[in-house]
Amino acid sequence: MLDTFEILTTSGVVLWSRTYASVSPTVVNNFITDVFIEEKSSVAGAKNGASAAENPPYKHDQHTLRWTFEKELGIIFVAVYRSLLHISWIDKLVDNIRAIFVGLYRDELTKPNTTIVECLTFDQYFDQQLRELEQAGGKSEGRAPKNEVLSEDTGDEPPSPPNLTRGQQAQRGASPGSSPNVSRPGTPSASHLLVAKAGPVAKMSRRAKKMQNTNSALASSGDEGPARKAKAKPVKRGRKWDADGLADEDDGIQLDYSIPTLTSDSEVEAGARPGAVEKVDASTWGSQAKGKFVLKDLGDEVNSILADADAKKNAASKTDAPSGLVGTGLSAIGGLFRNVVGGKVLTKQDLDKAMKGMEEHLLKKNVAREAAVRLCEGVEKELVGVKTGSFESINAKIQKAMEASLTKMLTPTSSLDLLREIDAITSPSATSLRKARPYVMSIVGVNGVGKSTNLSKICFFLLQNKYKVLIAAGDTFRSGAVEQLAVHVRNLKELTAREGGQVELYQKGYGKDAATVAKDAVAYAAQEGFNVVLIDTAGRRHNDQRLMSSLEKFAKFAQPDKILMVGEALVGTDSVAQARNFNAAFGSGRSLDGFIISKCDTVGDMVGTLVSIVHATNVPVLFVGVGQHYSDLRNFSVKWAVEKLLSST
Amino acid sequence: MSLQTLKDLLEVSLTPSPTVIILGLVFCVVAPILLHFLYSTATPYTTLPSVLLLGPPGAGKTALTTLFERGPNQPPNGPVAKTHTSQVPSSIELSVNSDDPSTSYKTNLDSEGATAKKFLLVDTPGHPKLRAQSLVHLNSAEPTIKSSLVSDGGAKSKIKAVVFMVDAAALADGDALPSAAEYLYDVLLTLQKRFHSRNGSRAPASMPVLVAANKLDLFTALPAALVKSNLEAELGRIRAARSKGLLDSGVGQDEVAAGEEGDWLGGDGSEKFSFAQMMEFDVDIDVIGGSVIGDGPGAEKWWKWIGERV
Repeated sequence: MLDTFEILTTSGVVLWSRTYASVSPTVVNNFITDVFIEEKSSVAGAKNGASAAENPPYKHDQHTLRWTFEKELGIIFVAVYRSLLHISWIDKLVDNIRAIFVGLYRDELTKPNTTIVECLTFDQYFDQQLRELEQAGGKSEGRAPKNEVLSEDTGDEPPSPPNLTRGQQAQRGASPGSSPNVSRPGTPSASHLLVAKAGPVAKMSRRAKKMQNTNSALASSGDEGPARKAKAKPVKRGRKWDADGLADEDDGIQLDYSIPTLTSDSEVEAGARPGAVEKVDASTWGSQAKGKFVLKDLGDEVNSILADADAKKNAASKTDAPSGLVGTGLSAIGGLFRNVVGGKVLTKQDLDKAMKGMEEHLLKKNVAREAAVRLCEGVEKELVGVKTGSFESINAKIQKAMEASLTKMLTPTSSLDLLREIDAITSPSATSLRKARPYVMSIVGVNGVGKSTNLSKICFFLLQNKYKVLIAAGDTFRSGAVEQLAVHVRNLKELTAREGGQVELYQKGYGKDAATVAKDAVAYAAQEGFNVVLIDTAGRRHNDQRLMSSLEKFAKFAQPDKILMVGEALVGTDSVAQARNFNAAFGSGRSLDGFIISKCDTVGDMVGTLVSIVHATNVPVLFVGVGQHYSDLRNFSVKWAVEKLLSST
Repeated sequence: MSLQTLKDLLEVSLTPSPTVIILGLVFCVVAPILLHFLYSTATPYTTLPSVLLLGPPGAGKTALTTLFERGPNQPPNGPVAKTHTSQVPSSIELSVNSDDPSTSYKTNLDSEGATAKKFLLVDTPGHPKLRAQSLVHLNSAEPTIKSSLVSDGGAKSKIKAVVFMVDAAALADGDALPSAAEYLYDVLLTLQKRFHSRNGSRAPASMPVLVAANKLDLFTALPAALVKSNLEAELGRIRAARSKGLLDSGVGQDEVAAGEEGDWLGGDGSEKFSFAQMMEFDVDIDVIGGSVIGDGPGAEKWWKWIGERV
């Protein structure tokens, strides 16, 4: 069963919640962090207005979360249930609740400077929806739950006159536009869209058909009046025919009694209906016992809200068509004016061209296409429907949004203070029950990106901070690799002898298993009281399965505290694949801890590789190599990178 | 006589001479601008002062916000709303008794008939990826926050004080302390740089900072004094680590000297860091304990502190 259902704002306040079994708040917190803030899920997070079915479910521990997001108001609807259960109607529930909640409380939600939304009465709406969907889910899988519900409301009423059904059937069978819908079990919105598209055709053919069998049509309409008066709930009476399960495919349309233009029922019916409704309303409303009718009343309201929401969706998709020559001309001029002055509500069309320019700009900065496209899509989604400030052009707005989104992406989630981490491992505080051990760092990467060079740069930095460092020559494959490290070690020894750093090389020659060498080196370091072990590895092509698979064993044997990957700033689109493959190479429980981007001095402004790899892996960049000297290693500064990426020269 | 001069004046103003044309043009250009400034400054109620609420995630920022907001008129489902991780900042309008700031946030000022002073409490997300957005507001010499952030209007609201909230219970066990201290370090450093970046002789307005040690209702929570000393020690450690660490990318060799001076938090040359060192930069730091929920010391002290400063 459902564990909990929550409606919360993006600012973190829970507006309404219903709990059936207590769920730790960390479940929802993790969901927010992963999906919205860090955007870990494969499909980019906050899609506005996508129904719950389109959003991938989020799984945490034993819980599954289905969710939907209303961007305009900044509200998230989340349903949490046990992963073991399969609840078919959960998407529907989330979507319906969203439509109802937004419909009911839109005004309150847009109030500035407050977090209070009075929604105590929402309980009954939720209960009603839940009950409906539960029953619907139990009865049949094939039909849309809403239809089922409606037919059920009137289930206790006597069967309809046969000629009526026949009349309807005849009409329906004759209209080619709507007949394909019969077998479609989709959501009302889907069926609605279909009908809306086929609207004119269906209507035309229907009308033509009606001309032919005027008889049956008239008969049915004649019947309707009296039959309706006899019932307490005339609005629902239409669904009585559906109860037999033959003709309920058009229910989505009948629901739209609030919008006459959208109903594709015959005009005769449409005309007859309102009058009948009023009559009954006036005569029976007051005398009925309130208690009995509350539920049905609510169902009515809920359905009308849902229908409204659907209609709005339809209307939104329809408004693409220009309203007329004068209208478009005026709006075009207005748009141009707004472009300059600001205060324009951005639409997708406005943004399209500017976004293309931004994408082009990012590509020029050596950002991989995949990353550039996703970034731009994210920014576009964020901006659609946003008003520009006064005297703010679209381009300036996009620039700002892109800056924010790049900053957000490149900023690491946790602190990256290497020295503190080393201190915490090598000399743990008395209260923590850990034993002091050397801090192990290893460096991986493709051939020739500068693994050994960056390793010695890091070593130099550590030596300056008076650590005792052991360098392990894990490259037992390429001839000259060990000697190269030996040269580095000799240089470093000379350079830092004054400052009190100590460095040694641990090597076992060529041909040995690198993982074993690394393991021995760590053991040796622990024995000799080294603070830090730096392990060099052999360069490997990221798409070479045989070489990559040995990394898993390496991670298991050496148990590094940090695995850093060196990536070149020079490399282009391939960086994405490199980062992904290396990130996945260490087995399921381990991934990369950071990147070192080497050769940044050679690319100038084109530091797009940074973005590509962080985008691909969500692993932060730690260091940036900016030159040939030992001291040319820099902490990665997000501000610097964003400035470079957005600078236009 | 007077009629004659009037006539002359009229004649001069109507003759197409360059001076008249220029004067007319100048009037046309300047008048709307003057009018604009006149009107835009004459609407004081749009710029409420604001108090910025910062802190690591899970400290209780949003909970405090909802507590203060729901203070006077308690809804039936408890004074504090359930909260989750925030993604966007939000602001709420609060009012404090301007005669007596120590009035509880629970008292309804309308019914008491007291004169109320309104301000905005801006709650920010604490997630590390979203911190940069909050820190931007503190950057300038006169820290302002756009109230259009949350409501339409676009008027800028002046930040009067900063409340930095920490979870006193989590600080006890190691991992939370560095991340909280790191954030606080960034906040204080930004405030310190603000002091340096002043233009002219006028020093920027002092910026009081309240370190609110939350969750003192829990058994494992550290008392306010211990929170203070722990944070100070950790800040000192961060300061030392940063000075020893690598330079940031983008800092050229020639800028090294300039960069180093700006990154040292607090008084120069001092071995240990203490909050008192920040007084030098007009940043006044208080540490007060309290609790948003449970039967701890409550949030009255924080409210009083905020009330005195807006």
